[in-house]
Amino acid sequence: MSKSWFKLDPRTKLMMLITIGLIMMSGTNVGMDYALRLVCVTLPFVMLLTIGNYRAMIWYVLIFFGAVLFEGLWLTKINGVLNIIVMTFCGVITRFGPGYVFGWYVVRSTSASEFITSMERMHFPGAITIPMAVMFRYFPTLKEDYSSIHDAMRMREIGESVKNPFVYIEYILVPLMMSTVQIANDLSAASLSKGLGVNRKRTHICQIRMTALDYIVVVVMAVMLVLSFVY
Amino acid sequence: MKKKFDVKDLITVGVFTALYFVVTFIVACLGFIPIFMVLMPLIGPVFSGIPLMLYFSKIKHFGMVTITGIIIAILMFVTGHPYPIFIFCIGAGLITELVLRAGNYSSIKHCVIGSATFSLWLLGMVIAFFFGFRESYFAYLVDGYGQEYVDAMMGYTPTWVFFAMIVMCLVGGLIGGLLGAKVLNKHFRKAGMI
Repeated sequence: MSKSWFKLDPRTKLMMLITIGLIMMSGTNVGMDYALRLVCVTLPFVMLLTIGNYRAMIWYVLIFFGAVLFEGLWLTKINGVLNIIVMTFCGVITRFGPGYVFGWYVVRSTSASEFITSMERMHFPGAITIPMAVMFRYFPTLKEDYSSIHDAMRMREIGESVKNPFVYIEYILVPLMMSTVQIANDLSAASLSKGLGVNRKRTHICQIRMTALDYIVVVVMAVMLVLSFVY
Repeated sequence: MKKKFDVKDLITVGVFTALYFVVTFIVACLGFIPIFMVLMPLIGPVFSGIPLMLYFSKIKHFGMVTITGIIIAILMFVTGHPYPIFIFCIGAGLITELVLRAGNYSSIKHCVIGSATFSLWLLGMVIAFFFGFRESYFAYLVDGYGQEYVDAMMGYTPTWVFFAMIVMCLVGGLIGGLLGAKVLNKHFRKAGMI
């Protein structure tokens, strides 16, 4: 997809994603864990920068630091149900946020063929990687479809007037499901013409190689994981 | 009916798993409020059952639901959920597979039951609150979410709630499946898309 001067192997990205997920979920907020978490929080930011996705980067920074500030300033000031809701909201953002944003980066920076090739190198069965590649391609389409449906509803002045949540969900979900069926058919035809159905080892035109940079990142991630388990 | 499991099936798995995952994810955001977290297994499948029924109606081969389960487990695991999620996702996938096969992949009734059994994977997301995981998980939660939240969660989750959640998953899945069957009848059968 986007050309970048800082290009990592998909396998390295996967390793980073797992590391971030594990550390953000398991660590505490003191000492060594704090330093590790800080690294994990910064990583998605840096990586989004390298693919030039500034809009996502700014949103990430705003939302994440908003949540951290809220947590720090308000934890003692409010109580009762409101405290619980606010804390959970912020807690989810500070815990899952970096992992999800990094996942977004992985999706945006890896093309389907890169993903499938590198998974093949890791001897991952195609029965899992092909649906996953399709999924990653489909998420952005899903978002586009949703906004088209939303626009269409606004043009016909339905949407705000629908009070019943089930009816509203039906209005959104049914067109989405229709387009899903359509896309499944289209992709099947496309995959046939690309020869995905042939039971032969596929060849690849994209270059997938672990560079020195990849090895450095992998080692750093491994060290971080070890540190987080030892401390 | 073709006997071979081919790329077309894998693509169907991918597209519908994406839709299912997104719907589940949006509903799961309600989990911010503690009581909804406990009711998640009931509310989630009600909505996600609708796309799931369409997916089931496209399934013609053994193995597709299990792949969906594995993919969901992988996505959940890499974004930071604990490992038991694999057991639940794959287990729920296999059970659903057997249910669908019993209906020869064409019976609506079996699809509805399958929707109920497949939603059991949600238990993998809440297992941390129960059994051996409980103590350490709450100790860790105090750190991030504050004592008040933990007290509320602890109050909501005595061990029997886990078994109540199994029932909630099944009931939610049944309702979702029935809703899905209704939507399929209303919109898709007429359009000849099934």
